[in-house]
Amino acid sequence: MLSMKNISKSFATDNVVTHALRDINLNLAEGDFVSVTGPSGSGKTTFLNIAGLLESSTAGEYWLDGEDISKLDDKGRSRMRNQKIGFIFQSFNLIPDLNLFDNVDVPLRYRGFNAAERKKRIEYHLDQVGLASRMKHLPSQLSGGQQQRVAIARALATSPRFLLADEPTGNLDSSMAQSVMSLLEDINANGTTILMVTHDNGLAARAKRQIFIKDGQAQELLQGQPHHHIHNLAAV
Amino acid sequence: MFSYYLKLALLSCKRTWGMSLLMVLAIALGIGAAMTTITVNYLMSANPIPQKSDQLFYVQLDNWEPNDPFFDNGDPPDQLTYRDATYLWQAKKAPRQVIMSGMAAVVEPKDKDALPFMVTGRASSADFFPMFDVPFLYGSGWDGAADAKKELVVVINAELNERLFGGRDSTGETLRLAGKDFRISGVMARWDPKPKFYDITTGPFEDVEEVFVPFSLITEQFFDRSGNTNCWKPTESGFQAFLDSECVWTQLWVELPTSADREAYQSFINAYTAEQHKFGRFARQDNNKLSDVMTWLEQRQVVSDDASMMMAMALMFLAVCLLNTVGLLLAKFLGKASEIGVRQALGASRNDLFLQHLVESGMIGLAGGVLGLLLAWLGLEAVKAMYGDWIRDLAVLDLNMVLLAIALAIGSSILAGLYPTWRACQVQPSQQLKAQ
Amino acid sequence: MLELGPMLRALMRNKIGALLIALQIALTLTIMVNAIFMMLARSAQMARPSGLDEQNTFYLTNTVFAPNYNLQAALAQDLQRIRQTPGVVAATQINAIPLSGGGWSMSLQNKPGDDIDGTGVAVYMVDEQGIAAMGLELIAGENFAPSDVIWRDQGATEWPAKIILSQAMAAQMFDGDWKKALGQTLYINNHEPMQITGIIKSLQAPWNGWDNVENAMLVPQQLDSRNSRFFIRTEPGRRDALMPQLEKALAESDKGRIVRNMKTMEQTRAESYREDLATYNILLTVIVVLTLITGFGIVGLAMFSINRRTRQIGTRRALGASQWQIMRFFMLENLLISGLGVLLGIGGAIGLNIWLVSTFAMTPLTPGLLLIGCAALLLVGQLAVSYPALIAARISPATATRGRA
Repeated sequence: MLSMKNISKSFATDNVVTHALRDINLNLAEGDFVSVTGPSGSGKTTFLNIAGLLESSTAGEYWLDGEDISKLDDKGRSRMRNQKIGFIFQSFNLIPDLNLFDNVDVPLRYRGFNAAERKKRIEYHLDQVGLASRMKHLPSQLSGGQQQRVAIARALATSPRFLLADEPTGNLDSSMAQSVMSLLEDINANGTTILMVTHDNGLAARAKRQIFIKDGQAQELLQGQPHHHIHNLAAV
Repeated sequence: MFSYYLKLALLSCKRTWGMSLLMVLAIALGIGAAMTTITVNYLMSANPIPQKSDQLFYVQLDNWEPNDPFFDNGDPPDQLTYRDATYLWQAKKAPRQVIMSGMAAVVEPKDKDALPFMVTGRASSADFFPMFDVPFLYGSGWDGAADAKKELVVVINAELNERLFGGRDSTGETLRLAGKDFRISGVMARWDPKPKFYDITTGPFEDVEEVFVPFSLITEQFFDRSGNTNCWKPTESGFQAFLDSECVWTQLWVELPTSADREAYQSFINAYTAEQHKFGRFARQDNNKLSDVMTWLEQRQVVSDDASMMMAMALMFLAVCLLNTVGLLLAKFLGKASEIGVRQALGASRNDLFLQHLVESGMIGLAGGVLGLLLAWLGLEAVKAMYGDWIRDLAVLDLNMVLLAIALAIGSSILAGLYPTWRACQVQPSQQLKAQ
Repeated sequence: MLELGPMLRALMRNKIGALLIALQIALTLTIMVNAIFMMLARSAQMARPSGLDEQNTFYLTNTVFAPNYNLQAALAQDLQRIRQTPGVVAATQINAIPLSGGGWSMSLQNKPGDDIDGTGVAVYMVDEQGIAAMGLELIAGENFAPSDVIWRDQGATEWPAKIILSQAMAAQMFDGDWKKALGQTLYINNHEPMQITGIIKSLQAPWNGWDNVENAMLVPQQLDSRNSRFFIRTEPGRRDALMPQLEKALAESDKGRIVRNMKTMEQTRAESYREDLATYNILLTVIVVLTLITGFGIVGLAMFSINRRTRQIGTRRALGASQWQIMRFFMLENLLISGLGVLLGIGGAIGLNIWLVSTFAMTPLTPGLLLIGCAALLLVGQLAVSYPALIAARISPATATRGRA
């Protein structure tokens, strides 16, 4: 489903070259639920951005659902993001001017569905997160947990096979975080592959696989292993 | 997708309505000001007789003071002496020629209760009507024989015919003019060339005269000449001395269909002034001008300085308004960077974003353009109210001007919207999505 | 000590935005200074006195069409009728009206001769009541006597022996000293002598845009013409009532002529300067609207910029910046941008002025006006930014610790 080979990202500023990611190798199978942890500035977000086609790597190969990402132009990458990837962000990133219905509508518009199909999907997905009755509300009228549920509905509206979550519970209190997490687990149970960045070890442990990133290098933690017993992912 | 972009644009304008209003107003004011002044300039510099403006030539000879040219730039006087104009006219060297001067006289209506009134008039020779394609409602002008015999014939305009004869065919009837009975030979249809090219010496945008009579009647002295009379050399007393003087007050137009005609006529007038030079006249004997209609109008600068100055100011004003809009749109679009980032994450390509923002700036431009057209119309009404009657026909939006206004509005808004739109599409999504 | 360094670096990161405002201010200054300059020129022109008692004077035209008419007798009778009307102070027949746009000019010279350069002067043919009828002020010499006034036939070229000059004309003929003019002889038609017997303070020519508009000459003549004008002065406040009364009386007294084109001098002045006034008003509107657009543009841009920097401002507040310091930051930022705009605008204003001077024969701009324009625009910038700056200053320091909305 997802395959990264020697993915690297470096920024050149003036005379210093900073390596944000070095030689990441990763394979995800259909239905995986992977958590990514690591200290601040370790490169988690860069990794997620590359995985979500929001940024390009400077070296390496990236295949997603059978397509070579490096061969895609802006249009192709947009199509991939639209059809195959769903995003959930720490700060929800709902568009403040649009009501819930119109927020969920955004990816469906770019997908090119007709009005009836869009309406059906919006109502279905808002219903799934329990907010169907508040379709005409603006994001500012909702609590943080409710906003994140809308964001999840929006991410799932085009039925992507791959969901990227960047600290999805980072701005939520613990009970809300728990309910969002169980929502993600349900989604995964239905077959959607999830890659989730978090700094909450408890949540990370609930994923099927765990990856730890430090100084731009990724290591996979084996199930049940404490965080300091790690082995190099590249060697796997 | 277009309707979606339209919906988004409306929503976005609504959210920042104050700024959107400012942008629309700025574009509208800029376009309104530009269109108002462009229209006045365009109509001032219009060709009043396009079908033959390059075949009609105004004759200027330089009989003026040897040491002090008539115009500071050395151009010959804008009118001719009676003796020179008459000589050239009588020579009949062009297929058609008309000699003329302004005049004014009192009309006494047949109805004894109606008060006598003053009319503006023109004393001209017979060729005036065919030469300038004057349209007739009834009858026609007079012929060369009438000029020669100093017949009391008159052509009246449609308004006067309406006033005196209720609009009926009055040809053959009598008009009591300047104390004499004139036979009406024709009634002109509405004709209102702007500029009034055939005589711009008393102002280029005056109305066409109400009556036309044979020029030869001038020497009978029963009506008054009107227009400018300029003299530089003392003359003897009496009318004949005046006619023979160096005073300029007569105008001569010739119709020269081909360039050969034109060259021949130029040689003819040059030969005439060279001959006269021998008798001590025409100190600048080669300073003769033969100007077609548009050249003549340009030479005498019928587009007023004020009008061109205002147009320059208005175009700069438009530039300020556009800069204003570019700045505001840029700020607005950059303020939406996070939304743009989210849209990219959700699958919007750069093309999608470009179109979305182009629709938004286009909508502002279109609103500005439509409002600008309205303001241009209001501006022209204000120009009419402020400048008075003579500008009445120069402050009208015709189809060309409406089309230009629309083109200007669309062009301006695209120009103003393009850079901000391009910048909006350059937003890096990854930088916008992370919580700050 | 001020935050100039970081401010400049922030501006450099948003070069285009800052440059757009600067350019807008530059163009505004360019237009504004030149427009004000043109307005000043127009208002100076419109403010020139005509020399007449404009509030209490009017004129009308008498056009005779009946054949076999005794013109001289009829005109004398008309004048008498007008002068005897209660409320009329004085009346004269006259050949042309000041400021009306139509009239008669001649050339006068100090010495007789064919090749001597003359000076243009507007000619007003009046009788002994001319000075009183126009309300002119005789400052030297004496008025015409009734016996000086002669009839002038149509087409005649002879001139009377006595003339009264305007002070400006007298000064121009006698090396700038009008007092030397009284009693001197000038020549018309190259050779005919005329003696200056009086000087009036001022009287303008019929053409308000003429170079010699202050040059005027009164000659004691009455035109023997089928088209003649009467110029009438009334007692203060009685003009408007007397106008229709006199028009009617004249029209009814003789059906062989028409009385037309009756106008007050005030109307004539308004018509004469109509285009100048219109141009003045348009320029004024342009300046006001332009300043408003630029001002509101600055407000808008500042508001957007503050919205984008809310957290940054909150952080500064949290780090101890006072409200005044936040305000000062935005005011100073605007001053920098406006300053750049004004600098560019000075070049633009001078450039436009050079073009106007060369194309439309205007006089060059005064530096004082340019400086006032610069100061005014800087002030507009500061005023415009003060409201958004105030909003910025009120941003709570707590914003820094909250997530973004």
